[in-house]
Amino acid sequence: MKLLTQTTIYFLLLVLPLLTISTFYLFSQFNKEIGHEIDEELLNDQIQWLRYMDTVSIHSPVFQLSTPEFSLQPVTQPAQAKPVLESVMLYQDIEGKKTPYRQLTQVLSIHNNSYLLTIRKSLIERDDLIKNIFIVMLIVFGGLLVFILLLNRMLSKRLWRPFYQSLEKLHGIELKKMESVSFSPSSIKEFNQLHTALTAMITRIHADYQSIKELTEDAAHEMQTPLAIAESKLELLLQDETLSDAQLQAIAQSSEALERLARLNHSLLLLAKIENHQYDTSQPESLQHVTRKYLGLLDELIKDKKLTLETQLIHNTSWQMPAALADMLISNLVGNAIRYNYTGGKIKLQLDDQQFSISNTSSWPAIPEQQLFQRFKKGGAVLDSSNGLGLAIVKKICDTYNLPIHYYFENGVHTFTISRFSTNSKPSFAA
Amino acid sequence: MKVLVIEDEPALQTAIRQYLEQQGYICETAPDFPQAMAKVNDYDYDCIVADIGLPKGNGLDIIKELKALESEAGIIIISAKDSLEDKLSGLDLGADDYLTKPFHLSELNARINAILRRKHFDGNTNIHFNEIRIAPGSKSVFVKDTPLTLTSKEYQLLLYFIANQRRVVTKTALAGHLWGDAYDQAGSYDFIYSHIKNLRRKLLEAGGEDYIKTIYGTGYRWSDQ
Repeated sequence: MKLLTQTTIYFLLLVLPLLTISTFYLFSQFNKEIGHEIDEELLNDQIQWLRYMDTVSIHSPVFQLSTPEFSLQPVTQPAQAKPVLESVMLYQDIEGKKTPYRQLTQVLSIHNNSYLLTIRKSLIERDDLIKNIFIVMLIVFGGLLVFILLLNRMLSKRLWRPFYQSLEKLHGIELKKMESVSFSPSSIKEFNQLHTALTAMITRIHADYQSIKELTEDAAHEMQTPLAIAESKLELLLQDETLSDAQLQAIAQSSEALERLARLNHSLLLLAKIENHQYDTSQPESLQHVTRKYLGLLDELIKDKKLTLETQLIHNTSWQMPAALADMLISNLVGNAIRYNYTGGKIKLQLDDQQFSISNTSSWPAIPEQQLFQRFKKGGAVLDSSNGLGLAIVKKICDTYNLPIHYYFENGVHTFTISRFSTNSKPSFAA
Repeated sequence: MKVLVIEDEPALQTAIRQYLEQQGYICETAPDFPQAMAKVNDYDYDCIVADIGLPKGNGLDIIKELKALESEAGIIIISAKDSLEDKLSGLDLGADDYLTKPFHLSELNARINAILRRKHFDGNTNIHFNEIRIAPGSKSVFVKDTPLTLTSKEYQLLLYFIANQRRVVTKTALAGHLWGDAYDQAGSYDFIYSHIKNLRRKLLEAGGEDYIKTIYGTGYRWSDQ
C-alpha cells in the first residue's frame, strides 16, 4: 500500500468517528436546548394566563375556550400545586396526521372551581429547525473532511517528494557506479539524516564491493602463481631422460591433478565473480553465436563419441549476454551433454529467441532435484575432469539474468531448458 | 634467437628459462620492472615474455615502452589474472599473445615459435625437420617433396611437436593447445589419440619416419633419436 493511501486511511479512520460523534453531540445539545426553551415558554404562558384569569370574571368566555394551543375545562379533581410538562402526539386536521406537541397541564382552582388548564406548543417547527441544523452541520463537516483530505494529500505529496526522489535513485543504483550516487539536500531534517545515513551505507557497500573484488583477484593471483610454478617444474622434470616410465607417469598424473586444481580454482573464482557482479559486461555476445562456436570447438568430441547431433538454431542474434558468461553457460551445458552421453548417443539442441533447450541421452539416472545445481554434487560421477561446478555456474548465470532454468528427465533423456523471459511477472511492490 | 623473460617468481622464471634454453633460445631474465625497463632499453630481443603483475611497476608499461622504442620484438603477456580487461588492454597496446597462468611450458614455447616465425620470416620461411618440410604460409606439409593432406588439427599437432621437439609433451598440454578451454568439457583425452594416430599414419605412408614416441600414461615425444 502506498504511504499516501495509508495516511489517508488512518486519517479517515480517525476523523470520521470524531465528526460523527461531534455531530450527534451537537444535535442532542440543540435538541435539549430547544426543548428547554419551549418548556420555559410554556411556563411563561401559564404565568401570564394565571394572572389574566385572576382578573377576569367567572362568566368570561375564556372558561369555555378550547383550542389545540389552549383549553380550560372544568374538572372535579383537586387543584395541583405544580404544572405537568409532557410531549404528546395530536391529530391535526390541516396536516391530516398526528404531529408532536409539548403540553403543560395543571388543575387550577379559580373562584373555588377546579379547571384543567392545557397549554400546548407545536414541535413541528422545532423538528424542522433541528433537521436544518443537522443538514448544515453535515455539509460543513463533509466539506471540512474533503478539504482536509485534499490538503493532507497535497502536503504529503509535497513533503515526501525528496523521499520519493531518493527512492528512485536507490532503485537505479548499480554496484559498480555506486560511489557516484548523491542525494539532493532537502529542507526536512529527517530526510537529510536519511540521506546522510544512506550515503554512508552506500560508501561502505562500495568499499566492501571493491575489497571483495580485489580479494578475489588477488586470491586468483596468489593461487595461480604457485600452481604455475609447480606445473612448470613438473614439466621440466618430465624432460629428464633417466626417468623410468612409472616415474614419468607419476609426474604426469601430478601435473594433471594440479591442472584440475587450477581449473577448480578458476571455476570457484568465476562463481564468486558472478555472485559479486564482477564480470565484464562491455562485450555482449549472442547466444546463437556462442552456441555455434562451441558446437564447432567440441565437434571433435561429438564425433569421437559417435553422437548424433540434432540442432535447430533459429537465426536470431537478439538474445545476448556478456561474452564471458555466455561462454561459460553454453560450454558447460554442451560439454555436459557430451561428457555424460554414451557412445552412439544423441544430443538435441534447440535455440530460438525465446528458449534454449538441450537434451542428451545418458546412462546416468535422473539428477535428484535437491542436488541439481549444488556445488560439488556430481550425482556419483567420477569423471576426472569434472569438478562438480558446471551446473552450479550455469544456475548462477541464469539467476543473475533472471532466466528460469528447468531440468527434465524422461526415457533416459536429460533435458535442460532456459527461457529467455521469466514467466512470473516482476514482483510488484504496489499493494 | 634472444628471449627476455620478465617474471618476478624466481622458481617460475628459472623453469621458463631452462625450458626455452633446452629448445635452443638464448634466454635472459628480469625479476622486476626497473630491471626489465633497463634491459629493454639496452638490448634487442626477438621475443619478450612479460608478466603483468610486477614488483615496482606494471608489465603493460613495458609494452608501451617497447612500442615507443619501435621495437620489433614479439610480446607475450603472462598473467595470473584471467581478466578479459587485462587481456584486451594488453593486446590493444600491441602484445602479440596472452597466456594465463598456469600454462604449459610447451605451450609457451609453441607460441613464442609462432610469433617469431610471423615476425621474422613473414611466415614464409619453411620449417624443416629431417625429411619433413612445412610451408607455414600455405599451411602445406611435404615429406621428401611428397605433399601431405592433413586436417587442421593434425597440422597444428605437427607444428606443436616440432616446436617442442625432443621434449615430452603431456596429453593435457596437447588438448589445451588444440581445443583451448573447450577441452575442459571433454571428460577424457582419448580423442587426442586418434589425431596422433592419423598424423603418424600419414607421415609413414608418405615415406617419413616415425618420430612420435608414445610415453605410456604420460604423453608423447617427437624425437629422431
